[in-house]
Amino acid sequence: MAFESLRIEIIGNVTLFDLIVFAISVLAAAIIAKVVAIYLKKSLSDRIQPKEMDFLIRIIQAAIVIIGIYLALPSFDINLADMLVVGGTMGLVIAFASQRIVSNFGSGLFLIAERPMKPGDSVNIGAVSGTVEEIRVLSTIIKTHEGVYVRVPNEKIFTSEITNFVANVARRFEYTIGISYQSDAARAIRIIKSLLDDHPFVLRHPAPSVFVDTLSDSSVNLRVFIWAPSRVWWSVRTEMLWAIKKALDAEGIEIPFPQRVITFARDKEGSSRCDTPGDGAAYGRP
Amino acid sequence: MFGIYKIPFQTDAGGITVSVEVEGETSTYRRVAPGETLTKRLGYREGRVIINPVEPVNLPSEVTGMLEFHFTPVTLRPSSRIPVCLKFPVEIGVFVGAAENYTLLDVFSLARPKYSLYGTPENGFITRHVECEVFESAPPTDPLKEGVLFLAIRNSGRDWVEVSRAVFDVSALRIFHGRMVAISGEMEVFSRLVAETRVLDLPPEEGMKQSLRVFPTKRLLIPEKQPFMMEYGVGE
Repeated sequence: MAFESLRIEIIGNVTLFDLIVFAISVLAAAIIAKVVAIYLKKSLSDRIQPKEMDFLIRIIQAAIVIIGIYLALPSFDINLADMLVVGGTMGLVIAFASQRIVSNFGSGLFLIAERPMKPGDSVNIGAVSGTVEEIRVLSTIIKTHEGVYVRVPNEKIFTSEITNFVANVARRFEYTIGISYQSDAARAIRIIKSLLDDHPFVLRHPAPSVFVDTLSDSSVNLRVFIWAPSRVWWSVRTEMLWAIKKALDAEGIEIPFPQRVITFARDKEGSSRCDTPGDGAAYGRP
Repeated sequence: MFGIYKIPFQTDAGGITVSVEVEGETSTYRRVAPGETLTKRLGYREGRVIINPVEPVNLPSEVTGMLEFHFTPVTLRPSSRIPVCLKFPVEIGVFVGAAENYTLLDVFSLARPKYSLYGTPENGFITRHVECEVFESAPPTDPLKEGVLFLAIRNSGRDWVEVSRAVFDVSALRIFHGRMVAISGEMEVFSRLVAETRVLDLPPEEGMKQSLRVFPTKRLLIPEKQPFMMEYGVGE
């Protein structure tokens, strides 16, 4: 009796039994996909980069589930050719009904094909700045530098300006270092060049460049251009700046505060001068 | 210092001390090199430790798999071949394990690393930069500090060419050690811009042992790529 009730047609020719077989097949495929993912993670985690591993697992899981659905379809007694026609028509209807989704989907495909960024890259997209966590077909997940999760629709990304800070293997950064007018600029340049030469990740080619850039109000400004591998440029940037400051201090080369020389009219005859530190505020005895 | 050791052990050479001391059911790995000391706790008291030279691209951290030699220019006439020797800095790898299953425990070096860019920032390669002279035969070296690349340069082009750069993909690098540390390589120059380099699986001298490599233990799934096509010039 119970078996007979399974044979009752629910939708068209599809019986309850067919639905149960289909559900079990899909569930089995999902379980197999999960088990395979766990196995792959266990066995390959030390041989593949985590991002590549996630990508590989997603592809394999999708393939297993699709195969599961394909194998379960005969239980519905469905003609695949008819299904393709119906599916195509349905696709068109759905596409018109959900233009934004389709637009995001299309943008996602173009992003995947064009590859202006990949997971792990440090990027700036419109007002969002951070690390690309995942590029999905409809949206891209960014983890901001503050660790905040941001989901950006692919359509928005596609029409925005994307700055990828690590797309190239090497990148340049620069410092402006002011030394006092009394200091020997040539010696300061030698000290900085020696530091740059010692650091492993300050690239030999393109060579770093150190030169006197401007003679400003309070200091002689040295400009330092450094090329470093994109993967480590930030740590090089932070390390080198402090190393330069310490080295110049150690060699007695002054990095001056802003200064202004003020001459008071009353004291002109006595040539009284007052060199004042700070932000331009005058201190003196009139 | 290079060789296979059974835990516990201690070896000293050139101001470097490497030891594994057993303490109960565990052991302690200790490496003392000039200016640097490393201690690691090992969760076992038996096994073997292999110390040998490894691909010199691991320090201070791995940013590339390319090794670039920048040497005194060598001029070659068309269809000629010249063998040269170049020095390179040695990095020493310490592996621990048993049978054929080894894992990297430590890498250190007495040489100062420096990196460079071969090609353009967009499409080029970050390289471990080695600046060296050209020798006709193997120069005397301290195996703990320097190794020798035996490089055969062949000019297959129709023009005279000046060569001062050779870039190798270290994923296929084979390092041998014995009385010295050595690599064998070939470079075929097609023009001033294009050349092909490859490392050979042959020891330059009889009786040399092949080193355990860092790269295969880390990236077994990435196929070895060789030869490497130098597309950004062979000179300055």
